[in-house]
Parts: sequence; C-alpha cells; structure tokens
Amino acid sequence: MATVVDEALRYLGAAGAGGQLRQDMAELAEMLGETCAPRHVYREATVRRKAEGVWLEEAGLLLTGRTAAVMLESSDRAAVLVCTLGARFDALLRQWQARDMARAVMLDACGSAWVEAGCDAAEETIRAAHPGLYLTDRFSPGYGDLPLELQPGLLAFTDAGRRLGVTASGSLLMNPVKTVTAVIGLSGTMQRARIRGCEGCMMKARCALRKRGDSCGT
Amino acid sequence: MALDFSGLLLLDGASGTMYQQQGLKPGELPEMLNLQRPELVERVARAYVEAGSQVICTNTFGVNRRKLAGSGHRVSEVVLAAVTIARRAAGDSARVALDVGPLGELLEPMGSLTFEAAYDLFAEVMEAGERAGADLILIETMTDLYETRAALLAAKERTSLPVLVSMSFDETGRTFTGCTVASMARTLEGLGADAVGVNCSVGPDSLRDIIAEMSRATRLPIIAKPNAGLPDPSDGHYSLGAEDFARAMARLVEAGATIIGGCCGTSPDYIRALRAAVKGMGPAPRHYEAISFVCTPTLPLPITGVRPIGERINPTGKKRLQQALLAGDLDYVTGLALQQKDAGAAILDVNVGYPGVDEVALLPRVVKHLQAVIDLPLQLDSVNPDALEAALRVYNGKPAVNSVNGDEKNMARILPLVKKYGAAVVGLAMDEKGLPASCGERLDIARRILERARACGIPKEDVWIDCLTLTVSAQQKQAAETLEALRRVREELGLQTVLGVSNISFGLPNRVLMTQTFLTQAMAAGLTLPIINPNQREIMDAIAAHRVLSGEDVDSRDYVARFATAPGEPKAAATAPAAATMTLREAIIRGLRAEAGALAKAALGTVSGLALVEEQLIPALDQVGADYERGAVFLPQLLSAAQAAQAVFAEVKEAMTSGGDRPVVRGRLILATVRGDIHDIGKNIVKTVLENYGYEVLDLGRDVPPETIAETAVREGIRLVGLSALMTTTLPAMEETVRLLRQLPEPPVTLVGGAVVTEEYARRMGADYYAKDARAAVEVARRVFG
Repeated sequence: MATVVDEALRYLGAAGAGGQLRQDMAELAEMLGETCAPRHVYREATVRRKAEGVWLEEAGLLLTGRTAAVMLESSDRAAVLVCTLGARFDALLRQWQARDMARAVMLDACGSAWVEAGCDAAEETIRAAHPGLYLTDRFSPGYGDLPLELQPGLLAFTDAGRRLGVTASGSLLMNPVKTVTAVIGLSGTMQRARIRGCEGCMMKARCALRKRGDSCGT
Repeated sequence: MALDFSGLLLLDGASGTMYQQQGLKPGELPEMLNLQRPELVERVARAYVEAGSQVICTNTFGVNRRKLAGSGHRVSEVVLAAVTIARRAAGDSARVALDVGPLGELLEPMGSLTFEAAYDLFAEVMEAGERAGADLILIETMTDLYETRAALLAAKERTSLPVLVSMSFDETGRTFTGCTVASMARTLEGLGADAVGVNCSVGPDSLRDIIAEMSRATRLPIIAKPNAGLPDPSDGHYSLGAEDFARAMARLVEAGATIIGGCCGTSPDYIRALRAAVKGMGPAPRHYEAISFVCTPTLPLPITGVRPIGERINPTGKKRLQQALLAGDLDYVTGLALQQKDAGAAILDVNVGYPGVDEVALLPRVVKHLQAVIDLPLQLDSVNPDALEAALRVYNGKPAVNSVNGDEKNMARILPLVKKYGAAVVGLAMDEKGLPASCGERLDIARRILERARACGIPKEDVWIDCLTLTVSAQQKQAAETLEALRRVREELGLQTVLGVSNISFGLPNRVLMTQTFLTQAMAAGLTLPIINPNQREIMDAIAAHRVLSGEDVDSRDYVARFATAPGEPKAAATAPAAATMTLREAIIRGLRAEAGALAKAALGTVSGLALVEEQLIPALDQVGADYERGAVFLPQLLSAAQAAQAVFAEVKEAMTSGGDRPVVRGRLILATVRGDIHDIGKNIVKTVLENYGYEVLDLGRDVPPETIAETAVREGIRLVGLSALMTTTLPAMEETVRLLRQLPEPPVTLVGGAVVTEEYARRMGADYYAKDARAAVEVARRVFG
C-alpha cells in the first residue's frame, strides 16, 4: 500500500510529499483497494523467432520491432497479461470529476499506481506457476517500438473482453481506463535486457516528469 | 408449437472453441464461417441437437454493421445464412435462437457510442433474424445494463419473437460494469423480457447464490449457461469436465434455473451429461419478493422504509436553475444532484419544465448527464407525456414516473408508457375536476388509478399514491384530510405513498418547523416517499429520528452516527470562526471552498462582483499558479484553489443574477477532446482552472468530430478553441481539426495540449499555441482576450 501511495504521488510530480496530500492519497489508495482492486488474466503462448518478428503461435500474433526481439531473445514461451481496475474505477473518476477535480487527479494517479501494483502481483502468480524459469521485464504496446495496433489481438487471445470486460476502441484506447496489457517472456536463463528506465519509452521526448528530472519509476 | 418455458429447457454449449479445433484462426470472425464453411457450422449445431439441445443458437454472436464493415458482407446476408444453417441442423427436434452478443464497442458514458446508435445496430440484427426465420432471440454475455436495454428494446419493438436475456456476473454478484443481479432482473422483467439469467462469467459452482438471488428478484424463467470453470493459462483448457459441470448445473436447477446450457469450454458431451444429470428434475419452487423497487445498474433500491426523494432539480421559483436550463448548463444540474445525494436523498426527482425549454429534448439529455455521474435512481417528472417517454427510453435502470392522475384521458396516455418501460408511477389523488376536498374521494381516485394500472399489467407495488399537500395557512382543515387519506391508502390499498411536504408551510413564519412537524405526522400515518429538500438539516433529522422509532434503523446506529460528530451544532457554524479570522485570498490559496464562499458572500455586501474577482480572486489564483510553477504546490492543490475560486464565482453569479446584472465573463472559448479520444481528465483540469479565472468554457466533451468543433466556433462566434489529445493515434484528428478551423472565414485562435502533444508537434500541425498544462492555458487565454 505504501508503494502505491509513493508511486501515485510521483505520477503527480509530488514525489516524497508529506502532510495532507500524502494523507489524502493514502485514504484514496485504501478506498480503491476495497472497491476497485486490480484483476488480471493471462495466457501463455509459444515463442517462435521469425525474420519479420517474434511470432506468438497460439495467439496468432506477430510482434514486430526491436523491443520484442530483444526482450524475448531467450524465451521459448511468453505470457500475455491483461490487468485492469475495471469499469467501476471509471465511474468513480467521472463522479469525482464532477465533484472535485483536485481529488479526481489524485484518484487518477492512484488508479495508475494500483494497476501497476496489480501487474506486479500478476507477475508473482506467473512466477509461482513456473518454478525454475525466469521472467523478463514486462513490456507493452506503445513502449519502445512495440506497435499499439497489437492491443486488440492481445485482448482477443486472453479473452479479456469476456473475462475482464476490457475493450480497445477504434483509436486503440483501452477501456476501462486503468488497464494494462503486457507481454512477459519465460526463459530458462536470466534476462539481461531490462525495460525499466526512460530509454525505450515512447513518451521519452515529451514526458513532463522527465523534463523535471524525475521519472515514473517504470 | 409455441415455445414452452414452463419446464426445463436445454440450450446448447460453446461453438467458438469447436470452430477453432476445426481450423478457425485466432483473429478471424467466426461469423464468416456461415458463408465460407457452412458445413462446419452445421456439423457443430447438429452435434448439439443430437446431444439433446432443445434450443440451438445461430452463429451470430458478433454480427453487427460495425464489426462487418470491411468484410464485404451485409448483416442480413450473414444472419440469413446463419439461421438457415441452424434450421437445417435443428430439423423438427430443436428451436433456433438468434444469438446476439455485445456490440464490442462501449456505450456512453463508458465509451462514446450513443444509446440510440446502439439501438439501431441491434435493431438491424433482430429484424434480419426474424425475417430469416429464427424462433426466438437470445441476448447474451452482456455486462452493461444500458447496452442490454438497447438490445432488448430493439428486439421487443422490431420483432414479435420471445426474447431471453442473459448477462455475465462474476462471483461478487455484479457484472464488470457493476450491475447488480436485482437491478438487472427487475429492470429487464419490466421491459418485457421472457426470461433472464446468467451466462459465461465463471463456472457453475460460483453461480448458485446468484441464481438464488435472481429467483427472488423476478417471476420470469431463469437462464444458466456458465463456462466450464476457468481456462488454464498454459493451454487454454477449461477446468471442469462434463460430469462435474453437469452435477454443478443440477444444483443451479435446484436454486431456480430452468433454461440451462453451457458457455465457453463446453461441448456436446457436456450437454449430453447435463441432460442425464437433470433427468426427472422439474422447476424448483420460486421465492419471488413482490416489493416496490427502483434502481440504477449499481444501486438497487427496495422501498422497505422511508426513502426521501430530493426535490431540488425543479426550476419553479429557482432563478439560477432556470438560467442553467435555458443555457444548457448541465453541470449545474449535476451539482444539485450531488449535493442532494450527499445530504441523504435516496431518489432524485428531475423536472426541467420551464417556458422556453424544449422538455422533450432536454429531459432525456439531463437524464443521460445525471446517470453518467450519479448512482441514485431518478423520478422523471413532467406533465408532458412525450418528454416522459423520451426520458424513459434512455433511463438506465428502473425509474419512477411523476405523475399520472385520475383523469381517464391522462391515465390512457401515461400508464401504457409506464408499463412498456417497466417503471413505477406516482398517481396523484386528483382528476380533471381537481383535488377533492374529502379524504374518501381521494381514496376513490387512488383506487381507480390502481385498477387502471393493473389492467395495463402494472403490478400493484409499482403504483405509488400522492394524496397532495395543501397550504395549511390557507386551508387549515385540509392538513388532517391529507393525513387521513394517506393512512387509508396505506392501510386499505397497501400502496406506497408519496407526498411533497414543504407546501404545507407556505406563507408562515418558521417554515422549517411546520414542514418538519407535518413530515413527522405524515410518516407516522404511513408516508414512505416524502419529496423534500434534503439540504434542510431539520428535515433529514426528522427522517433519521423516524427510522429509529419505526425500527428500521437497528440499534439507532445511523442516528447515533448522524449526531455523534456535531452534537446539536449545525455544521455551518463550525466553520464560521475559522472564516472570521481568514481573508478571502487565504481561503482561496488554501483551497477551502466553504470558507471562500462564505467570505465572498459577506464581501459582496460592500464590494461589486467585478471588483471582488479582479482585486482578490485573480491575484490569489495567480499566486497559487506561481507556486505551482516553481514546484512549491502540486496539481491537486492548484485545483483545490481553483475550486475555492469556483465557490466565489457561484456567489458572484448569484448576486448578479438576483441584481439583474449579466454575469462576469472575461471571454468565451471552446474546449474539446478530439475525435477518437475518450479520456478527458486533462481537458477537465484545464476547464476547471479556466472557469475560475472567469472564462466561459463551452465544453464540447470528448470524441468530438472536427466538423462539430468548427460549426460551434462559427455559430457562437468563438475566438479561442482549445483541443486535447491523449494518444498518438488521435493526433491526426487534432491536426485535422486545426486545419478545418484555419480554413474558416474568421479562424479562431487554436490552442493544443495533452499527454502526447509537444511544442514542436503543435507548430507542425499549424496550431497557434501549445500549453503544457492548465496554468499555461490561462496565460494563452489572457493573451487572446486581453
């Protein structure tokens, strides 16, 4: 919970803030944990390396670009993960936007932190199901050169529409708003390539946190 | 032969999995198989008929115009092929259900598809299904009650087929969008579904409580068509075998399900096992609870005690609301709604009737706006039947209608609407001759309304009677008559009673005391649905006290909680001392809304509204803005200050409205999130800050087409247009909008921003300004408007 609060404050550019702001954020984090706890589904696929990209066989999806090639270079299998806070978060956010924008932006940041925490927990589940294997860092469409256009395919493969109520719009926006899709490689050896840090991020050039010399921590 | 739902009815199982086993590739539309490989589809369907399915579904789950776009095939063509195949497979042994799933695109407010557009998409499929010869319709795997309503309405209005409706609930008893079992079952039964139930979601083991709950919430047959447990992430296989599935299903039959089958992970073997497992079983006894009830998807409200109805959304005698309705300022209406919810209202009455207002257009708009942010059930209030129908159509849940009266013509117009949309209705104990003086005559009218309602098929519990309050200072004897009529409606007819109580005290001093006393007497006489102003503390206190005395508030818990925090002290008084030692500037900077409002109100006695804004409010906001710039305060604090400023503006507006002045407006501008972008928090942050600098924002919302923005700019003579985009995929729409605006004869200044927009992008797309945040947007507005 403390991590969620710290992360949420960091997304707001208020890393390390104390006092009322931290206290309010902690209350929000607790409320969200009770009403919109993150849920996830994942499904595994066989990885085949092809000339035009990495092929996820059971999903029928081709992951083009350097990010996927590097991240999955030593993996024979990969897990496709979808994690969401669900539509009730969106309803809460709508309500707070009508009520109190200050609280709404805190809620928004807190939701982002929660869904990331949900992804961390999902990774632990995947790890526990595969003793002896290493997990690569998770990476998502829109990160590095992994195309956003993969979103509908990842959702279809995990049946996330029926199992979590997640859809992607025509312009590839995820709905509910706090939803993360990610690919995680399963490998017999420790993965060297890391995804953490700003280098591969599509937002690198224009990230407000980065301009201030901060980072979102992923 | 007509379909018989009185015994057990065996549906089919999954088909998608079977198509995949036989070569359907991931990402391909299964519905295309109807045209490309009809023999495969028929083989699967035939296997279910042979396994014992009495109803088989067509392969049309995802068919609609939008999904088929680009396939080169029309809805009617695919549906005809699918029904023909199913008919062939069914022969004389089974009936054919047109299978209808979610549209794959979310409705407002979650997505941007309108209710009306969703209805049209469904209607096309339903009509094609009936024409092609389907015997019934199965609407399934729905998670949004609004979308489900659109589908059911389309099926009922455009076909004459029986309609079964099923949604996907998880183990918590809610759908992904938060819809409850009771809200679903009671809303859809009201709208005329022939059966309701659960499918997909989780395995049958987790559904027993949900089926049991559903059997208490509906008289209709119940569908259970669950998955074979959960899929294994490593190979996609479902966890339950056919025998285990069938055994668990038999327990769902014991809980009340009668229309049974399987969803994801099941096969003809499962249906065969299911048939064997339920052999000899019949429908379980049902335990329907005939209670008065209204709801939204997430908030079911059984009327099992006193439920206050908030009366504030009614323009009669409220200048500020009249102005807001005429200007289409629906955020003001939402504000009134939130206030009443916070004060303890259980239902909100919504009336927008005012000269100059087109109620038929406005009432449904207000309903849509309110239900996007508020979960309280609404009471739709109008004397215009067309406005009522327009609002009933778009209301998401089961509403109440206010009102019908004992006039035969009025009943003939209103009651069929109430029946069609499954609402509750307030019957006024008066008729074309007016309000009868005696209690006996009012009771006669109430009885007549009840009879006519029942003849229309409206159940007794959905008829609420209003015996009407007259002003005691004018007609003193009437107070007793009203109370007596109310008591008899409750005792002799057994109906819920509604009463607008505040009218009693009109023209008297200490109105609150009179209203509170009358309310107390009325509740003692059996009033369950008082229409009141929940913002009046004394009124809500009386209700809290009554709930203890009636036994509803067990162990006085709510009562104690209500008074524990502020013993005997009204809340407003607690903030007064703090306000007394604080300047307005300080209150704004610290983001204290109530204090800022109170201080502004006091100051407006001596200072003009304009001076207050220019000399105190703007400098305070500027200081917070500067602190934000250098990182001394953060976004939430910037917004808190802006909202404190909003409270000041509200006071200034109020003062100016009552003084007959025009409100202070420093400039009017448009804000919109561009087409394709449905997340609008960034735009709303900018709006909050700009409004509190005194700019009037025409908020066009999200997912706004370039043409709408350009047309509005021209029509309203707008000088500044602000555009927001969140995704790289929607930047082209932003560019297109900017281009369109620049081609106007008098192009407005364009300002762009949002997560993915940079200074450089802004320049490249030809925008005049880029703002990195809300603060920067204020600077741009200043430059434009001076």
